[in-house]
Amino acid sequence: MSCEGYRDRLIDGLASGESSLDGDVAEHLRTCAECKRFYEAQMHLFGAIDAGVRTMVNEAVPASLLPGVRRLVGAAGVPGRSWGFAWGFAAVGVAAMAVIGVGLLRRSPENAGGVTAKVPAFTQGVGEAARGAPVQSQVTAAAPKFHTTKVKNVTPPKDGEARPEVLVLAEERAAFVRFVTDLPEERDVAVALTRPATDGKDEAVEIALLQIDELNVKPLESSNQ
Amino acid sequence: MRELVLIQPGRLLAGASERGNESSHADREFEERLAECGPLAFRVAYGVLRHAADAEDVAQEALLKAYRNFARLREPARFRGWLVRIAFRMALDRWRSVKRREKRETTGEQLEHGAAGPSVEELAASSEFQARLERAMEELPEKFRLVVLLAGIQGYTREEVSGMLGIPMGTVKSRLFFARKKLAEKLR
Repeated sequence: MSCEGYRDRLIDGLASGESSLDGDVAEHLRTCAECKRFYEAQMHLFGAIDAGVRTMVNEAVPASLLPGVRRLVGAAGVPGRSWGFAWGFAAVGVAAMAVIGVGLLRRSPENAGGVTAKVPAFTQGVGEAARGAPVQSQVTAAAPKFHTTKVKNVTPPKDGEARPEVLVLAEERAAFVRFVTDLPEERDVAVALTRPATDGKDEAVEIALLQIDELNVKPLESSNQ
Repeated sequence: MRELVLIQPGRLLAGASERGNESSHADREFEERLAECGPLAFRVAYGVLRHAADAEDVAQEALLKAYRNFARLREPARFRGWLVRIAFRMALDRWRSVKRREKRETTGEQLEHGAAGPSVEELAASSEFQARLERAMEELPEKFRLVVLLAGIQGYTREEVSGMLGIPMGTVKSRLFFARKKLAEKLR
């Protein structure tokens, strides 16, 4: 084999990270000073490449790296829920639009007229009253407000579990939910308040009799002194 | 008209508690991965950019992405591999934009290709050699470059690189072989 062939094999061995030389290559290096010099130069070169790459990638990690990530993560919110939140907001938006739409429909003039028409709203003018001729007034009296109560979501629990249910005003729902869920430090209180009643199955609490060891009786001071 | 709504506080509490537990558990797991893999992401990014502040930015962005995708990256090996790839990809993007900016701003000064020095220490310490090595690394195909960088990171064996990238050990070896040979050709 020519020197060129040995040199190719030397380079392949160094590139693959082999530390030992094949027998015939080692034998050639013992007899060829030129190839030995070439081999030593290539060893230096590959060593320098490895050292250079290590320098390149083993830079000291800045102390601010992990705190910076924590700060970004804190601002980002719950993992894997970014789209969930987006869809949640979209759903709430659609629901809000629907509620507003229904509300506007109910307050439309046709519907308002429908309400007043059903209400007996006749008054007598003074003149007509004097003539004894009852006439429908031109002024429509304000319809009395009937405070109707609408109850939503009164379906029983599907799993048949006895869960306590609380009726709250719609506008107070958010506050109630916050009270129940967003107070982890007061969770015991929330649980105690919302635990189902035990139907009188609690054991009676025994109260020890009052014991008086020493009784010191003094006469009352008279009021005329 | 006043509306009443029916609420089951027990269900609310249970739901909130489950969500809270799940969230805090995920946060703990992510914190473990962060401590374990944060430096790795930085080093991969630094290997491409060679600029600590830029590499830190890229690593932080990559880790934030990992956090957002944590639901499907909980397995440690999967997390590490995904993070390494995303950090590498983001660092390359950053590097390209930096290069474009530099190209606009400078005339593209060429470095002289001198002969290598006599010893490993002197060669590695030589900023000229380092600059030539960096240039040669930039010219490597991406898949070879990533393997060289990962294999160069202290504490990572070829087996670990293989596991991290999800490629066979033989592929890691052949990519390293090809990359080292190419680098030597360019630096000879």
